[in-house]
Amino acid sequence: MSRIGVFVCHCGENIGRTVDCAAVAEALKDHPGVAHSEDYKYMCSDPGQALVKKAIEEHNLTGVVVAACSPHMHEKTFRRACDQAGLNKFMCEMANIREHCSWIHEDREDATAKAIDIGRTIIEKVKHNRPLEVIKIPVTKRAMVIGGGIAGIQAALDIADGGHEVVLVEKEASIGGHMSQLSETFPTLDCSQCILTPRMVEAYQHPNIKLHTWSEIEKVDGYIGNFEVTVRKKARSVDLDLCNGCGDCWAVCPSKRIPSEFDAGLSNRTAIYVPFPQAVPNQPVLDRENCTLFKGRAKGLKKDACGKCKDACLKNAIDYDTEDEFVVEEVGAIVVATGYKLYDVGREQPEGLKGYGEYGYGEDPDIIDGLQFERIASASGPTGGEILRPSDGKEPKTVVFVHCVGSRDIDKGMAYCSKICCMYNAKHAMLYKHKVHDGRAVAFYMDIRANGKGYDEFSRRAIEEDHAEYVRGRVSRIFRDGDKLKVWGFDTLNDEQVIIDADMVVLATAIRPNDGVKELAQKLSCSVDVDGFINEAHPKLRPVETNTAGVFLAGACQAPRDIPDAVAMASATGAKVLSLFSTDELEREPAVAVVDERTCIGCMRCALVCPYGAIEQREICTVDGQVCGHTAYVNPGVCQGCGTCQAVCLSNSIDLQTFTDEQVYSEINALCMWE
Amino acid sequence: MTGPAIAPAYAGVDELRRVARELLESGEVRVIIGWEDARRGARPVFITDPAEADKLIFDTRCVHNLVTYLDPRRDHVSELGRIGLVVKGCDAKAVAGLLRESQLSRDHVVLIGMRCGGVLEEGELPEPLALTPENVAPRCYGCDNREPTLTDHLLGEPQPEPPRPVMTIDERVAALDDLPLEERWAFWTEQFSKCVRCYACRQVCPLCICERCIVEKTQPLWIESAAHPRGNFSWNLTRAIHLAGRCVDCGECERFCPVGIPLSLLNRKLQQIVHDRYGYTASDDPENAAPIGDYRLDDQQEFIK
Repeated sequence: MSRIGVFVCHCGENIGRTVDCAAVAEALKDHPGVAHSEDYKYMCSDPGQALVKKAIEEHNLTGVVVAACSPHMHEKTFRRACDQAGLNKFMCEMANIREHCSWIHEDREDATAKAIDIGRTIIEKVKHNRPLEVIKIPVTKRAMVIGGGIAGIQAALDIADGGHEVVLVEKEASIGGHMSQLSETFPTLDCSQCILTPRMVEAYQHPNIKLHTWSEIEKVDGYIGNFEVTVRKKARSVDLDLCNGCGDCWAVCPSKRIPSEFDAGLSNRTAIYVPFPQAVPNQPVLDRENCTLFKGRAKGLKKDACGKCKDACLKNAIDYDTEDEFVVEEVGAIVVATGYKLYDVGREQPEGLKGYGEYGYGEDPDIIDGLQFERIASASGPTGGEILRPSDGKEPKTVVFVHCVGSRDIDKGMAYCSKICCMYNAKHAMLYKHKVHDGRAVAFYMDIRANGKGYDEFSRRAIEEDHAEYVRGRVSRIFRDGDKLKVWGFDTLNDEQVIIDADMVVLATAIRPNDGVKELAQKLSCSVDVDGFINEAHPKLRPVETNTAGVFLAGACQAPRDIPDAVAMASATGAKVLSLFSTDELEREPAVAVVDERTCIGCMRCALVCPYGAIEQREICTVDGQVCGHTAYVNPGVCQGCGTCQAVCLSNSIDLQTFTDEQVYSEINALCMWE
Repeated sequence: MTGPAIAPAYAGVDELRRVARELLESGEVRVIIGWEDARRGARPVFITDPAEADKLIFDTRCVHNLVTYLDPRRDHVSELGRIGLVVKGCDAKAVAGLLRESQLSRDHVVLIGMRCGGVLEEGELPEPLALTPENVAPRCYGCDNREPTLTDHLLGEPQPEPPRPVMTIDERVAALDDLPLEERWAFWTEQFSKCVRCYACRQVCPLCICERCIVEKTQPLWIESAAHPRGNFSWNLTRAIHLAGRCVDCGECERFCPVGIPLSLLNRKLQQIVHDRYGYTASDDPENAAPIGDYRLDDQQEFIK
């Protein structure tokens, strides 16, 4: 027979004002199975908790019901008190008569009656509670960072500096990401490469950081503290241990007209190449799709059509027969920092988007996007930092910058604001004016969103000191007219049409999640939002966590981010990972699903619907060790207690500990029985 | 008065007997489960002796879905050893269902598929009758799997389409759907009030595979076990919903029901819903994922508000 103690809290006036707490305690005293019932002004206070502990000892209680606030608020407090008094803490439950009752009702009599009902349901539940133990999971104190842009580098450095090993995985041949392509950075106009490359080198040389470039995530198994990630190291054809990056190979490569990804297509590279001179590692990769030898092999030529780079390599580092390798890394936490790509706004749109055909992007070489302008303005770029337009290499005297191309446009692009464009457009206008003193910079904008430290001052400076002309309005069409680009726009502040004869147009195209993010999110059991960015666990309170425990987010994979944001997020993930690594074992509430092996038939529907990949098939054996069948098994380290498996189990063989069928059924019955 | 004509002899029967004999002789299987001709008509038969392979028949009376013998609960069958099972197209879908739900190892069974032109509604007849709109099993009309693909041997000659029954199941479902809510309620109340809770529907179903059926769970007791209208509703609806997206429309539950509850109407309605919402129809391809575990971006989810 249960001996349950009921403790009704007034919460000062919070509950007491609307609920007659003494009457509640009195009414519940006679409920079957209740051995003790009392009320007190502040049950969570030290004397209040002492009442609970004293009652447990005096009445030898088997369960405790605290009728007070939400379990979110004080369940931990009272469970700790029970623990101290020697009662298994999972025998203690909260009956929420504050948020669910006193705060939302006015009539004292009705509220009191409801509080009694709530108390009864929880008493009936506690009768079916079982003593449980917290779940302990060992932690592998090693982290993986996916993506080697500024966010990934920062996260890796923070974790590595904290004394733990980090595996940094980058899909390109070099780390650095988009930041390495930028010329100067807002709002200080310091050179992007000058602040980034030392970080790249630091990450490369850090004794705690293991770098996999030219690699992608193939598979993710396991759970928080115990992930097993299979990394596909794409065939590089260059042995990184032998190669000294001398450059003899790419000097002799005959395929020289491949558009450079790093220069956003504004210059060419060879088939064997390093993406840029400051690359880390500064060793080449062979692009098999564009290599004469591999193109020949693909056609089925018996003899290799080329082989010049291998001949030129004095270190013997080039091997055409390497294949993709798979490396399994055991890590305890994963930071996702896969970054962004720009919305390619040309006429052709593979993904069902509409594009901006009327802007002529991709059709006229002088209509470029923001990253292409970065390359033109960069000292390491194809023009050596001189502002020259791509078509004929002339200095453009009028440049039009168009904001919000694809951002904040539900009809043709994305509903969201890409966040960084207002600032980089101001920066572009300034950089242009600093280099072309007699030039004219015209920016078409919707609103100027400059909400960061020093941001508004910066964009004001572009207008007031560098005399960029800001026109509030949209551009309807851009087309070639002889030597000029006609930009048709509308100035909504002056209510008039504007036509500008431009030499070059820069489109601030929307930020989109990088290619392959959706697939990666799937491997990590994370969800993506409608725009394809990975969802954070809570937009305000858990912004760098995901719904998969142990997987964290940094930078533009979560939403458009500028550099300060991305770095701040990265350091936040660093702190999260380091705090995770500060213990040897993780403790988890036992609110997890358990399978009744006696009745489970192993149909594995539960595994199909589990959003966390927590369920696996397990063989069951007879007493003499013969395999006699299989059942489902829920890994308590991975299960998040959502209950989906329970809902699809045809034979009701899965129960959620702390919310078992029996407990919930008893709660419902309690409401019906004591009307 | 002349009764319906006798169906012409099924051309694949000799082949069926030969294959069965060879499978038993070579030891490839220990038992062949098929149909035989008995005093009251066709009935299931277990053959372990190659000499008895000639007992096997296949004709319009072979209504039974023998896949129910593969149910892992029936370990007295699996203990016999590797099974050779004779299946129609609808039966093969049930095999796929068991494979999909990890209840069967494909190696454990050799499937002998029969090209099928439909079966009678009732198999307890001394002679195989030719199919007519009056006697054909309504579910055979519009069957999409008359030549099963999930088989090791596919026997018989291509068969003609079964005739259109007097009233198809879809027409009966539509007629019921057209009734006002109260009349539909009254219809099912009357039907379910007949239920004696013998669970024959469950026992015969090849996909009712639970070790302990939810109706037998007593703590808590979700479904009242007395044959009372309230528990009867719970039971019959739970049975149907547990088969949503799984039912292969073999019609055995309805055929076995001793009180004649038209369970195929419930089953068909759920098949229609699953098809309309998830584009899924039960097939005999075990790789064809059932909708419960197959998340697609274009799944309708207007119920999430």
